[in-house]
Amino acid sequence: MSPLTLYQLVALILLMAGLFGISQRRSLVGMLISVELMLNGAGLSIVAASQLTPANAMLGQLGTLFVMGLAAAEATLVLAIIVVIARRFGTTKTSVVSTLKG
Amino acid sequence: MEDMAKIVFGAYALIILCGSILAVGAKSLVRAMVGLIATLLGVSGMYMLLNAQFLALMQILIYVGAVCVLIFFAIMLTRADSGGEEAESAPLRQNLLALTAVLSVGGILGWLVLTRPLATTGVPVEVSIEKLGLGLLGPYGLAFELISVVLLVSMAGAVLLAWERRNGK
Repeated sequence: MSPLTLYQLVALILLMAGLFGISQRRSLVGMLISVELMLNGAGLSIVAASQLTPANAMLGQLGTLFVMGLAAAEATLVLAIIVVIARRFGTTKTSVVSTLKG
Repeated sequence: MEDMAKIVFGAYALIILCGSILAVGAKSLVRAMVGLIATLLGVSGMYMLLNAQFLALMQILIYVGAVCVLIFFAIMLTRADSGGEEAESAPLRQNLLALTAVLSVGGILGWLVLTRPLATTGVPVEVSIEKLGLGLLGPYGLAFELISVVLLVSMAGAVLLAWERRNGK
């Protein structure tokens, strides 16, 4: 097995763990943790594919840097949304937070 | 030297595997966060192995230093852990459905990865930090500016959302 395949398999493990977590967790914070796992898998896959093939390596590293920045922005917003939900509903369980206004 | 790299790769892969299992399986959210941090450090080690030192440093700075602290704040502010929201285990049906989704996606992608290997150079190329900086300011300047706008907007939006008015609404 080539090194690239091994790195892709590790990224796949991260994606699978995140997917399992996001469909099985019942609190918003747990789901946020799973999303971070999946984004990390994406970053690892991009870097491995650009460093180990003749592709443009700089582009791969910059892409992963942008993924990290977007993950930070997303975590900030999700934190604010979780705080609002916790204030309004008193809990962050996804089964409780299922009502619409009106 | 080649064997050393394989051993280190195996160690990092083990850290990532155990960390991600802890991150999605732990009953307590704080323990899940410890698993997430272990996973992030493992991925950072993988970046080191891939000869991307700058990314490894950024991974630790941004993820472990900023994002994980943010999530700890979320746990603390919502008192998510003491409520025991993940305390009772998920119903069996939900677990089975989640497992089905994961195995179908993972099966398809794993089959693709294993049966269609790309041509690799074998040795990771080195990109100096100067080249990365010149790239950010030269050909990819627009993306660089856009991501700063996205970060600014998300920060302002977070402040606006979580703003607590002093004297009632």
